[in-house]
Amino acid sequence: MFLDPRAIILFATNALLLFLCLLVNSSLAPLSLYLVLLGPMLVLPALYLNHRSFFICILLTGLWVDAALPATFGLFTCGFLVMGTLITMARIRFRTEHNYHPILLAHITNVACLVLLTIGEGLHYISAPAFWLQIVITAAISHAALLIIAPWFFNLQRLLFELCHVDTEPDEFPML
Amino acid sequence: MAKFRLDKFKPIVALGVFLVGWWIVPTLSKSFLPFVQLSFTEFQAPAWIVSSYLDDLESFWARRSHSKIELIEAGQELARQKAFYQLLDQRNKSLETEVMRLESILDMPSRREFRYQVARVIRRDLSAWWQQLVIRKGEDYGITEGAAVIFAGGVVGRVVEVNAFTSRVELISSPNFRMAASFEGDVRPVVYQGVPQSGFGGPIGEVRDAPQDLVANTQNPLRLVSTRLGGTFPPGLMIGSVSWLEPGSTGIFQAGSVRLDKRLLSLQEVSVLIPLNPLNYDRDVP
Repeated sequence: MFLDPRAIILFATNALLLFLCLLVNSSLAPLSLYLVLLGPMLVLPALYLNHRSFFICILLTGLWVDAALPATFGLFTCGFLVMGTLITMARIRFRTEHNYHPILLAHITNVACLVLLTIGEGLHYISAPAFWLQIVITAAISHAALLIIAPWFFNLQRLLFELCHVDTEPDEFPML
Repeated sequence: MAKFRLDKFKPIVALGVFLVGWWIVPTLSKSFLPFVQLSFTEFQAPAWIVSSYLDDLESFWARRSHSKIELIEAGQELARQKAFYQLLDQRNKSLETEVMRLESILDMPSRREFRYQVARVIRRDLSAWWQQLVIRKGEDYGITEGAAVIFAGGVVGRVVEVNAFTSRVELISSPNFRMAASFEGDVRPVVYQGVPQSGFGGPIGEVRDAPQDLVANTQNPLRLVSTRLGGTFPPGLMIGSVSWLEPGSTGIFQAGSVRLDKRLLSLQEVSVLIPLNPLNYDRDVP
């Protein structure tokens, strides 16, 4: 099959996560709080899908995120593909049947997304202490929220695999 | 000796090809990537519009739970306010007639006229990297890029992106936002610019190029208002208040922090000012 059906499920859950995250951010705006929860979007596609399906899923996710956020178009499309490829190359080292490794990867990729955003969008304000203060607050609450959201999100993705009667095991595993 | 497997490099090769393609495509076709971006944006817009209408519906049902007595009291209050605003409207009309008469005597150039388009805020993206709002009106209501956006408390920002049914507004607190301004009662222009927000306290901006003779203090803060310079905003709209001015980097002018309206962070509805006679920079600018 050209495209693993799980790629569609993973893309749909990524779109759902982004939508919910932006809704929450909109409600948190009066408190000057902002959540960046992009890390979990890359983890299961990189760990579960074959190379072709992973590429299509992450490409669509990147374009979706780029269109939704006011960032430069292409920042997340290219950034997600680079991060996702790195996880794919090392996926033999991670266990997918439990949430421990995916959560760890979600935190690492989320930090990478924050760094990417700061380099891509915030280089002009790099000398402003207020900018760094807000980055630290954003990173702290985002990663605190990830502790709850990442396990829920991965369980939701696995549950959808079962409900849609698709393969629940990683494809072509292990990749040497 | 173990067989050397090339297939493990497939992801890297595919990534390399994609990145080269992403770099080359804009040089071959300038409209391809903007088309992709627009397509994805328009595809997502209905979800936001539906969520905004659901929000309205929730507010409607919340209001339905109010008692009749509460509604009667609210109606009475509205009637009082309406009578007051009708009086103000009469006075405004007589003052406008007087201004027009004086302008024609002095042979002054005509002012820019705007049409007001009230729009609901459907999303707020206020972070360290950007300060933007998404509103529920776009090309379908004739919103134009660069149009001024205001609310009851003064200036909100400027439209930076117009889609079919939504528009994106750059907030006045964004470091990418800059406009000409003046202090109330002083015609000399100054420069207002947004600054990175710390996340603590209300939104702030900065004012530059303020004349040396202006003095601001916490007891009598200076009110910063819009001017007609630039042509985007009508004059006299509140931007914020300045309670401290100090010599700027040049030493010739003063600079200070502008305290903006706190309501900017929780706006529900804004007005977009669409110019009736848009500026033609080739024709109108000398």
